[in-house]
Amino acid sequence: MSRIEALIELDNVRKSFGDFEVLKGISMFVQKGEAVCIIGPSGSGKSTILRCINGLFPIDEGFIRVGTHRVHELKSDKAMRSLRHQVAMVFQQYNLFPHRTALQNIMMAPIQVLGHDRAEVEERARKLLKKVRLSEKADSYPGQLSGGQQQRVAIARALAMQPEVILFDEVTAALDPETVKDVLFAIRELVEEGLTCILVTHEMKFAREVSQRVCFTDHGLIVESAPPAELFDNPQDPRTREFLGQVL
Amino acid sequence: MAGFVLHYDDKKRAVQLLITLGVVVWIAVDAATGGSAYWTRVLVRLPLLLTGSATGWPVTGGFVLNILLSIASMALATALGTIMGLGTLARVGLIRVPNLLLVNFLRNSPWLVLLFATLYFLPFEMRIFGTIVPFPPFVKAVIGLALPTAANFSEVIRGAVQSVHSGQWEAARSLGYNTFQIYRHVIMQQAMRRMIPGWMNLYAPLMIATALATVTGIQDVLTILNTLLAMENERVIVYFYLTILFLFIPYCYPIAAIARRLERAVKGDSL
Repeated sequence: MSRIEALIELDNVRKSFGDFEVLKGISMFVQKGEAVCIIGPSGSGKSTILRCINGLFPIDEGFIRVGTHRVHELKSDKAMRSLRHQVAMVFQQYNLFPHRTALQNIMMAPIQVLGHDRAEVEERARKLLKKVRLSEKADSYPGQLSGGQQQRVAIARALAMQPEVILFDEVTAALDPETVKDVLFAIRELVEEGLTCILVTHEMKFAREVSQRVCFTDHGLIVESAPPAELFDNPQDPRTREFLGQVL
Repeated sequence: MAGFVLHYDDKKRAVQLLITLGVVVWIAVDAATGGSAYWTRVLVRLPLLLTGSATGWPVTGGFVLNILLSIASMALATALGTIMGLGTLARVGLIRVPNLLLVNFLRNSPWLVLLFATLYFLPFEMRIFGTIVPFPPFVKAVIGLALPTAANFSEVIRGAVQSVHSGQWEAARSLGYNTFQIYRHVIMQQAMRRMIPGWMNLYAPLMIATALATVTGIQDVLTILNTLLAMENERVIVYFYLTILFLFIPYCYPIAAIARRLERAVKGDSL
């Protein structure tokens, strides 16, 4: 795979929190329209990779490019804005704004950050709510919604920014088993529509079904990266084998 | 009776009622055994204590002045405290460190000393942009009481802002908001609710502290009382001080009670 064609490119990315080195040289490429899953034990740096890609965490060393943005060189909120427009993120804890209704949560950023027209944004927001099958919850506050519903609103909120890439950070980890499938269904639709997705997940079955490539991380390094059938059925690295043996 | 159980709140109310009854009975007994003559003296002077003039009008001071002083100080403290609170939250050390030093200095100084300090450090008038701004004792008292209250309020703001879950910052940042927009659209709107009980909790001590302002020489309830007592005999002094106490308590207690109720109401909203 060529570096130049890739939509997202990470090269030897290093990141420490204090004395603890979380990322010890991460390199990966993601093509446009590709769905990549990152799996691995907790503390292996999966979520940190996502946060480095959209600039939430500054990196210590290395190179990150998303489209035309050289992320490691962006310093201010202002410089980050167009990157954040291009890359949206969905969080494990949903992080909806509790003082705003579901509809308002979706509409806020496109109006306040991108300066889009309110009427047009409302139409877009209602369409997105319909897409995640929550039309009737438009006027509910996050506190009145179940975890799975909140997460689907969060996905709609991310989509409202009309991003090219969405980062999913263990979005089903805090959910009840029966609501997980609604959220996964919504994500699967996005992947099938050709949106570029990077998913950190513990849902191995979902990772196998939905992604074109799976990366296994351990101790701040990508140990193995392969199409799901290959990685799950015929893991090359002993660490991958050990991890899969524990979770499958 | 079946199902009749005394809960904590019921017990608390019962004790409060008992104490109130005890005080009332004690006052009644004392009044019946010769105290009523003293109470009459107090009653005659009450309009003077409340408003600063013997007939009750016009208002030139007294307890009403204490209330005005507390309101003016609170307004100034809210404005100053907001600036200081946001200052202590600044990411730039050059703004944050001086603010933290100032806040901690003011929070750890005795209020009476701060009052004396403003009294002697501030000139009685000042030239600002060609106009002469006078600093009468009332204004100095307002500033002197506002300073420590502002420092305490800034800590209320800091606490409320920091109590908003860090995920809110991440989510807002990932949506492209800048720091100012995050404060405005996301953090402050959530923090405001949590600030109100703390803000009200600061008002009660401020109101109580207005009695200290007597050192600035304004005609507050205590200054008037001191002037008045020169003309009264020693035995009656106790009755006058009791009266002043009973002026402050019914004014401050309900505010503290409402604040406590709001605190309980706000506790539930997490994240």
